[in-house]
Amino acid sequence: MRDFVVVGLSHRTAPVEVRERLAVAPQDLERELREIAAHARLEEALLISTCNRVELYATSANPLQATQEAKQTLAKRLGDAAGDEVLYQERGIDVVRHLFRVASSLDSLVVGEPQILGQVKEAFDAATEAGTVGTLLGRCFTQAFATAKRVRNETGIAEGTVSVSSIACELAKKIFGNLEGRRTLLLGAGEMGESAARSLRQTGTHLHVINRSEERAQALAESCDGRAVPYEHLTTELVEADVVIASTASPKFILTPQLMKGVVRTRRHRPLFIIDIAVPRDVDPRVGNMDNVFVYDVDDLQQVAEENLAVRAREAALAEHIVEDEVESFLTWRRSLELAPTIVALRKRFGQVAEEELRRALPRLQSLSEPDRAVLEAMSRSLVNKLLHQPMTELKAGAGAPDGALLIDAVRRLFALSEEEARPSETSTQPIAEGKVTQLTAAATGPTGESK
Amino acid sequence: MKAGLFIATAALYAIACILYLSQLTRGSDKAPRMPGTVFVAALGAHLAFLLLESPSPGELPLADIAQILSVSSFGIGIAFLLASYRMNVTILGAFVAPLSLMLFLASGLGSSYAPVPPRVESVMLTLHIVANVMGLVAFALAFVSGFAYLLQERLLRRRQLTGAFQRLPSLGVLDTIGLRSVLVGFPLLTFGMVSGTFWLVRSGGSQFYVSQALGLVAWAIFAGVIVLRVAAGWQGRKAAVGTMLGFLFTLLVLAGYAVRAAGGGA
Repeated sequence: MRDFVVVGLSHRTAPVEVRERLAVAPQDLERELREIAAHARLEEALLISTCNRVELYATSANPLQATQEAKQTLAKRLGDAAGDEVLYQERGIDVVRHLFRVASSLDSLVVGEPQILGQVKEAFDAATEAGTVGTLLGRCFTQAFATAKRVRNETGIAEGTVSVSSIACELAKKIFGNLEGRRTLLLGAGEMGESAARSLRQTGTHLHVINRSEERAQALAESCDGRAVPYEHLTTELVEADVVIASTASPKFILTPQLMKGVVRTRRHRPLFIIDIAVPRDVDPRVGNMDNVFVYDVDDLQQVAEENLAVRAREAALAEHIVEDEVESFLTWRRSLELAPTIVALRKRFGQVAEEELRRALPRLQSLSEPDRAVLEAMSRSLVNKLLHQPMTELKAGAGAPDGALLIDAVRRLFALSEEEARPSETSTQPIAEGKVTQLTAAATGPTGESK
Repeated sequence: MKAGLFIATAALYAIACILYLSQLTRGSDKAPRMPGTVFVAALGAHLAFLLLESPSPGELPLADIAQILSVSSFGIGIAFLLASYRMNVTILGAFVAPLSLMLFLASGLGSSYAPVPPRVESVMLTLHIVANVMGLVAFALAFVSGFAYLLQERLLRRRQLTGAFQRLPSLGVLDTIGLRSVLVGFPLLTFGMVSGTFWLVRSGGSQFYVSQALGLVAWAIFAGVIVLRVAAGWQGRKAAVGTMLGFLFTLLVLAGYAVRAAGGGA
């Protein structure tokens, strides 16, 4: 019976030097996917490759064997250096749950980070292009996107940023509104300062760099697409800047209240946001008490990051509930794809139509005798049976084939058979539940306990 | 009918207040449009109420201080909707809705107010009232953005960056709204004061009332805020405090009229 499989590695199981060996460039994704699918004999296949994870999702009529082959394919790419203990695997409904968690950014290094959903979508598009996505993976991923959207909308998991650079950017936006055309002054050449300056540059601010060593300033300015300014112009630059990132190695305060008093006066009280990333600090704390001057040091930013992480952890618990909810709804759909309940539902639908029409016609045929009536009823039944005969035969023959799920899905949609009609409890007593019927996997009805 | 509509309007304003405030503090994102929808419904009920009050179709009910309060409350709601549509600051409803509710409730005490006597039919009087109501509306927006500015700046300085800080607009936007609203309100207030004095003199009165004095103080404060903003580059907290103070004085002007009307003096 056809079921889901996932094999892969992530930041949880493998260090970056191992992960990068498996990583697939976006432009190669389609080709690689076709090769892997053909090689490992997978019916459907999809490859997610980001800097934090590489995962192969697949469906196969023989999930056990497919897991082994997929694992071997990936292990071969890893080479000898790393054993296959860095690879994890899941089967059945656990794959669906895993994917929903990944897409919702619950499995990310930084929980709630927004990029992963886009990356999963790109992977899905590539696999669709490569023609390796069928009904099962298609539905599974579509629902994963919906789950991620729900998690995003209904929980605060993505609220607040958690890296020092992006917190600096967020704060700057909260002070100035639009950052387009504002000016950032990077003071010193610390690494964290540089990364914060880069983030601000990306939001559309101009960047000026001042450093004791002009060569270093020049190099930094070039690498960040900014302008180097001689150290003597410090006061003028402070007057004109909107955001100042201080990250010098100076042992003393550089931005003293005396210096800043004059600066603020010349600025005519325009707001100034100073980010002091240097240790020891570059900015005298008293500067932070001045009107329209806002000073955040590295501890403040770190604290914000930790608070936001704590909020996210709380919200992640809520998100897990949403994931379970969606997994449940996926199971309902999956059950509806079984043959037995579909046949029952199809018969029921046709039978209902025939009965309804009879009920409407009989009162108008009052001259009918009892035997005539019986003939009419027998005729309607046989009409239904004859009409259903061919579709039933095709369904039973096709359900076992690789694209059986597709066929059943099509029938359900053509005759508008709802998913609820396919509950196993309603169908267990039906006579057509034979050996050939597609069933739920063990994983679908409860925890497998064997997937690891 | 009128009493029922009054209660319905007040109730809708109150519900909008609660929804806006819970959105601000708890960020209930499940129904982000809910508070705004209720607030618009409140404005709808308020409009119906004003139409009932209206002396003749198309005429604003501005006969006494209670009706002026009611129309001002309605105007503030409309101005806020326009501003939030243009500047994307819907969350400021958390402060606008309570202000609207308070003014509306105050207008409900109107039964104890006597109509402004003497009811001289005068274009000048109507112009005076309309200009002042519009000025009041503009200053109310300035007040709200000033209040939000002070709150937001406090949160920023105390490093309380989760929750309300995330949902409030940026300091820059709040300061801009404050400046623009005062720039719109000030000429209206000036015109209102000049026309009021003109009308008073023409109708033969020459007494100097408390309200006039308060109005003059409010005018001076707003003038000061504008001058300091333009000449000395005042921005942010100081400008916000000045603006809020000015608005409180304009409210006192109305309170002065109300007390005088209730006391029966002219």
